[in-house]
Amino acid sequence: MFEATAQNRRNRKVEGLFRLLFLWMTCMLILPVALILGVLIVRGGPAISWEFLFTQPINNMTAGGILPALVGTVWLVVVALIASVPVGVAAALYLSEYAPDNRLTRAINLAIINLAGVPSIVHALFGLGAFVIFFRFGTSILAASLTLAVMTLPVVIVATRESLQTVPLAFREACWNMGATRWQTIRKIVLPNAISGILTGVILEVSRTSGETAPIMFTGAAFFLPFLPQGVLDQTMAMSLHLFVISTQVPDVPEHMPFGVALVLISMVLAMNGISIAFRVYLRGRKKW
Amino acid sequence: MKTTKPAFVSCVLALSAVLVVACGGGGGSSRSLIQNKGSDTLVNVAQAWAEEYAVVAPGIAVAVTGGGSGTGIAAMINGTVDIANSSRKMKDSELELARGNGNEPIEFVVGYDALAVYVHPDNPMDEVSLDQLAALYGEGGDIESWSQYGVEVPGCSSDEIVRVSRQNNSGTYVYFREAVLGDRRDFRLGSRDMHGSKDVVDLVENTPCAIGYSGLAYATDHVKMPCVRQGEDGDCVSPSVETAIDGSYPIARPLFMYTAGEPEGAIRDYIDWVLSDEGQCIIYDKGYAPRGDVDCS
Repeated sequence: MFEATAQNRRNRKVEGLFRLLFLWMTCMLILPVALILGVLIVRGGPAISWEFLFTQPINNMTAGGILPALVGTVWLVVVALIASVPVGVAAALYLSEYAPDNRLTRAINLAIINLAGVPSIVHALFGLGAFVIFFRFGTSILAASLTLAVMTLPVVIVATRESLQTVPLAFREACWNMGATRWQTIRKIVLPNAISGILTGVILEVSRTSGETAPIMFTGAAFFLPFLPQGVLDQTMAMSLHLFVISTQVPDVPEHMPFGVALVLISMVLAMNGISIAFRVYLRGRKKW
Repeated sequence: MKTTKPAFVSCVLALSAVLVVACGGGGGSSRSLIQNKGSDTLVNVAQAWAEEYAVVAPGIAVAVTGGGSGTGIAAMINGTVDIANSSRKMKDSELELARGNGNEPIEFVVGYDALAVYVHPDNPMDEVSLDQLAALYGEGGDIESWSQYGVEVPGCSSDEIVRVSRQNNSGTYVYFREAVLGDRRDFRLGSRDMHGSKDVVDLVENTPCAIGYSGLAYATDHVKMPCVRQGEDGDCVSPSVETAIDGSYPIARPLFMYTAGEPEGAIRDYIDWVLSDEGQCIIYDKGYAPRGDVDCS
């Protein structure tokens, strides 16, 4: 009675085909990641050593290590985080918890979306005009990090707002009904529950910040600097620009060096992602719902 | 819900700890940093100077940035750089702008560079005249193919010449135009405009049909540099440090450093060191001509 008709069989076949097709497409996604990592490890692996990580570049950057670039990237990322996370989280809190749905709010949302769509080279020129020249920070870590912060602000805002909105409204209502103010609710209930999502935003920012080249090229990154930065008003080398420089500007760089720099850069980002994922899993494990 | 509080607090603590560290570090920033920016032609020798100067004067950090002569000059005008490198002279209009901002640029010639013409190693062309280069690169020029030069290039079946040039804020671009095309004549459209001196050589190395110009210092064993003839019956002179120094090579140019105002203190010391025999031997080592006779043996 329930024997498969020809139609049923055809449907099942088509179903199977599409399933397979989608699977392939998903695999294609993994392919570039695997290839990039594979090539970097095979060709850049031999360059990696303690000496490579912790010494100064020598002989026109064709030998020696990448220490100033490594330290410089950490500086840039940390200062950018300090500048953008408080602002981004506060803005997201306002938009998610306080803002009424009116024209101003919609205008702000539109501005955030547009900010996210501005090409990084435009941010670079903005940073040059605003931070380097107008505010007189000079080409410095401060100017470069602020440029990066402006650029990554939308990422932080959007990720934070989304994670705030995953906290059920019932939690807030329960709180308000107990007589808590909005701020008390945010402090004790909303933020603690949304922290893992906020961390995701921060991590995305770190990944993007550490790889950006254009915004720091005009605002703070140096082609070469034989010293570690001493403060935020110093210039610095950075991994991304160093990679660009030794691949395109310096003659006679041994082939494994650019691959080595790329490998270190990507490992840094992956390690940071790993730490934060572990932290998120830990926090999520403590969720009671 | 109470239980997640320590995690949140720790996160805030971590961030503020970083803030304190960063600000603490910020206070120590000193004026011992010399910012040196500009010409891509000079960037590698500027880097070598900075690297060596770190040994000579360990208290002074020289931060080198490339981007092109135009970038360095713009930074000089805006007052965001201590020393601007340039492979061309600053124009009067640029000097005016800088003075308007209270920065009187002071010029130092730090060496000379020969602009070599590069072709693929399989290319049989051994010499080229300035007129031929002008007819190839200049607006309204009529040279399109290798056969017009009277050569047949193995590996270039199309016979069409791939012209490699530079982006227009490059000092090399400006100087080539002055020296080869003449002030009034513009470049012809359709060239490949590369963003670095090394890029030009890299491209020519891998393209049998190509011809390009770039600093002699970027020469490798995988490209050929034909000698350059000035006028119809002049000698054909090969690009080299020696021919750049004695002035016989027709497309050699001075390289400049500009400071904002008469340099003082650490900047003065650095410029003096660059112009000393020690500094000049470094530029010689990198394939450029020093400004005078130095003994670098």
